[in-house]
This record gives sequence, C-alpha cells and structure tokens, in this order.
Amino acid sequence: MELLRDLTIKKFHSGLLDKKFSALEITQASFEHIKRENPEINAFLSIAEESAVRQAEKVDIAIAKDEEVGPLAGAPLAVKDCILIKDLPATAASKILENYVASYDAGVIEKLKAENAVFLGKTNLDEFAMGSSTENSAFGVVKNPHDPTRVAGGSSGGSVAAVAAHMALGALGTDTGGSIRLPSSFCGTVGMSPTYGAVSRSGIIAMASSLDQVGPIAKTCEDAAIIFNAIRGRDPLDATSAPANYNEKELLEPELAKVKGLTVGLPEEYFIEGLEPEVRHEIDAAIEKIQGLGLKFKKISLPHTKYALSVYYIIVPAEVSSNLARFDGIRYARNASRGAAAEGLTEMYFKNRGAGFGAESKRRIILGTFVLSSGYYDAYYEKAQKVRTLIKQDFDEAFKEVDVILAPVAPMRAFKIGERVDDPLSMYLADIFAIPAKLGGFPAISIPTKSAQALAPRELPVGFQLIGKKWREADILGVGNYYEKI
Amino acid sequence: MASAINKHELEHLAKLARVDLDPKEEEKLLKDLGSILEHFNELKALDTGSVEPMTGGTELKNIFREDTERENTNQGAGVEAFPEKEKGYLKVPPVFE
Repeated sequence: MELLRDLTIKKFHSGLLDKKFSALEITQASFEHIKRENPEINAFLSIAEESAVRQAEKVDIAIAKDEEVGPLAGAPLAVKDCILIKDLPATAASKILENYVASYDAGVIEKLKAENAVFLGKTNLDEFAMGSSTENSAFGVVKNPHDPTRVAGGSSGGSVAAVAAHMALGALGTDTGGSIRLPSSFCGTVGMSPTYGAVSRSGIIAMASSLDQVGPIAKTCEDAAIIFNAIRGRDPLDATSAPANYNEKELLEPELAKVKGLTVGLPEEYFIEGLEPEVRHEIDAAIEKIQGLGLKFKKISLPHTKYALSVYYIIVPAEVSSNLARFDGIRYARNASRGAAAEGLTEMYFKNRGAGFGAESKRRIILGTFVLSSGYYDAYYEKAQKVRTLIKQDFDEAFKEVDVILAPVAPMRAFKIGERVDDPLSMYLADIFAIPAKLGGFPAISIPTKSAQALAPRELPVGFQLIGKKWREADILGVGNYYEKI
Repeated sequence: MASAINKHELEHLAKLARVDLDPKEEEKLLKDLGSILEHFNELKALDTGSVEPMTGGTELKNIFREDTERENTNQGAGVEAFPEKEKGYLKVPPVFE
C-alpha cells in the first residue's frame, strides 16, 4: 500500500524500466488494496482481475525482452462504467443495464489497449452520469476517501475515488457539466474535461451528446497529460471528433518559459459571496502561488455566467430524453423487472422503463420531453440554445485578452451524504462554475490546491479550475504542471 | 414561459416518454419540476432576438467518409448480446396486435 500511495504513472513507468517492480506485482497489489478498501468506498462496480493479470504479464514479458514500451504500458487504470470495454459489464450504474456486457471497445479503450494499459475494473457513477454526488447510482453511493461521511462528488465519483484512495494510478471519467472536475475537486485529484471533439465518444453510453467528453483523472497534471495524449484524436466512428493538431511534446513536457508568458483571467462572476470561505481561501492561495511563477493576471467578466445553469438543465434533459429512449429493457440486456411479453410491447416499455430508471433519470426524461414538446420548444429549448451562444461568446471575448481562466471548480467542498439528495436544484448548483466552460466546448481542468501529502488530517481537498482556449489543453496542463512543482 | 406542469400534463409527458410513474413519484416530480421551471424563468429577461442558436457542441460541418466497402465484423456480437434470439433472429413480443 505504501508503494501505491507514492506511485504516479510517471514513477511507475520509470520503476518498471529500472526493474524495481514488475507490472504484475503492481497490478496484484492494486487488487489486494481494492479488495480491502472497496467494500467501504464503493468506487468499483466490477473488477477484471483475469484480463488485467494477463495484460500485466504481457508487459512484463516485453520488458524482459528489452522491447520498448510506452508510458502507459502496464499502468493499472480504472474506467467509468459508462465506457465500453469488450466482454466486461457496462451498467452506467443503472438497473436497466444491470446485466449488459459490452460487445465492443470504446474508441478510447482501443487506444489504451494499443498502449498496453491494464484495466482493473469498471467504476461507479451517477446513473447514466446524471448527478453531482454519485448518490444517483443504482448500486450505492461512492464515499469520499478523505471523509467517508461525505460524497466523492459526481458523476465520475468512482473513478476519482479509485485514484484518490490509491486503488488505481489513473482513470477515465466522462464530463458533461462537471462530472470529472467536481469529484476531482472534492477528492483532491487532477481531472480534465478536454475540448469538445478532442476525444472520441464512440462506445460511451451517451447522456448529452453535445457536451459529453471522456477525460483523464490522475494524481498529477503530468499523468493527466499522458492519459489525454493517449486517448485524443479523430475517430471515424464519432463524426464530432475533430482532426486537431496537437503538439505532443508541448503537452507532455511543457516549457516554463512559455508557461510564464501566459496571461490568466479572473472572472468576477466566479468570485461571489456564496463561496465557502475555505474554498475562497484556498483559491486565493493558489492564485498567489501562480503569480509567484511570473504569470500575469487580469480581471475579466463573463457576463452570462449566471444563466449557464438554466441553459444546461434545459439542453441536457432534452438530449437525455432522446438518448435514453433506446433503453426499452428489450435491447442490451434482460431485466429482472421485465414485463411479460403477453402484455404487449407498449405496456412492456412502460414497465421496464418505470422499474429500470432511477429518480434523476426519470426527472430528466420528463423535463426533456417537456422542453421539446410543441408549444414549449421555442420558449425553453431554442431559447436555451441561443443563450448557450451568448455564453460561448463571453469566453471567445475573454480569450482575446487572456490565455487561461482561473476559477473555483465548485462553491463548496465535499458535502455530507444525503444533504442535497432531496432537492435537485441545490444539487444542480454544485456545478454552477463547472458548467459554463462545457457549454462553449472549452477544455477545463480541476487541480488540487494542495497535494494529498500536504493536507492536514481531516482537511477536505479543494480544486481550482483552469479553463483554456479550444485545443489548448497544453496551456492548462502546463500551468498545472508548474503549480505542482512549487 | 408557462407556469408549472400540472398533474394532467405530467401524465401526458410520462405517456409520451413511455415511463411508468407511481403516485409518490408523480407528487415528487410535480414539486421538483415546479421549482426547476421557475428557475428557468430567469432566461425570459434576456434579449436573444438576433442571436443564432448553438445547435451542438461542434463547429464541424458535413463530415463524410469515402463511400467504399467496409468489413463489418461486429454484427454477430450484437445478436449474441440480445436477450432472446432464435436461429440468428432477434426475438421480441408482437409489434402489431
């Protein structure tokens, strides 16, 4: 366990090459640790020990033969359970997919398999990635490794908790409104939502297609860059994935001289009264440290910020209501709750969907059906799409003056389990600072203000957010990288 | 924008969405949707007359591929994953009654 606590993907790779340990040893140590910790944390919904061990042995053989291996070879990773890995379960933490086993690999998984990464298992999430606390999982809440009475955040709570509790060296999550960054802030990991279109969505169980992106969760920005670099790229199976030109060297080895030359914007709309004082204090300290690196700061305004929550909760349910229409309890998997065939097809749909979806899924399906229905479409859906344009334009304007934007990830630290679950609006508010960048399609990262080692006992982590220009993940990763070195 | 959804409208929406709701779920949804829709009212004040709607996440247009023969290797897996099948066909309840 001590070994796992200190390991990063980067250190793992050099330890592997120096033959300090084998990939198999670290994989086995990870499973031992998972078996001890997971019953409490509930980060993993399923583990894949057999295929993981086989993969680790393959890497060890390559190393024994002095073959060249990449930076992710043998690295034990966790994967959110809405991302398909062939022959493994993919439940999206929903009862309606309880027995579904994926019949193909997601685009990102194909890429990681080519890198010989080791997949430890599939991680817990809010049902279909809808939520901010993982309390919407049909298979139980994920507990925060820093305080088990608190949520890990969501929706990628399982992937984040797995990394924060040292059960995996890195993980894949998905971020639609804040689902990678919010839990990362709550648990003290680095988590990035890439530019929309940078990473393939093929093989991701879709929630809101115009926003969903797969991104890395890791202990350091350096590790997050390694994972991002491996999964990015155009995929013919996702027509919205873009043929972007990234400079690999700049992503993986940012230069201090270049990072120092960046201008950081501080949006006044994000530094409001409602910030928890501890969050404010931590963010202020982070700003001071980054100023110390020599970066210039500038006050900016993103005037439509306050409308982002409404826009998001109109557009997302609209997309959810159509994306979740495919789950009828007939395709994908047999349901225990399945209605009898004799009752007829329509009746069966009602029963399967009624029993198979949780409360938040139903809320969004109904809300989405409403905002798309005739008579309300213009007032809600089209209006939201127009305001989405205004929110994106705010960022476009700001990025004429600054290179990156620094803001809190969330107004609060990890909250208590059960505290917000009965009031959807108060739950939605947790993502108020995470949502706007996503609506515009911009890349954004959560970086812990303090490393896990620097946290006082029982101190809860806080993340600060860096939002970058489109296709400029190198800027936010670069600033984060040098921040961590201070 | 219209006011909150009433019980009759909710039942209609549930019917359109093919979701069974029990009376307790209905009650909770009416309350939640009421406060959520009220929150949306803030958008009313914004003048968006000359704004183009953002209709997706990408600015890419017309992504085509070459119209060439491709090998599709995954069809069997789809059939295999289906809960009920017979002689390579998918088995579902009668569609027409």
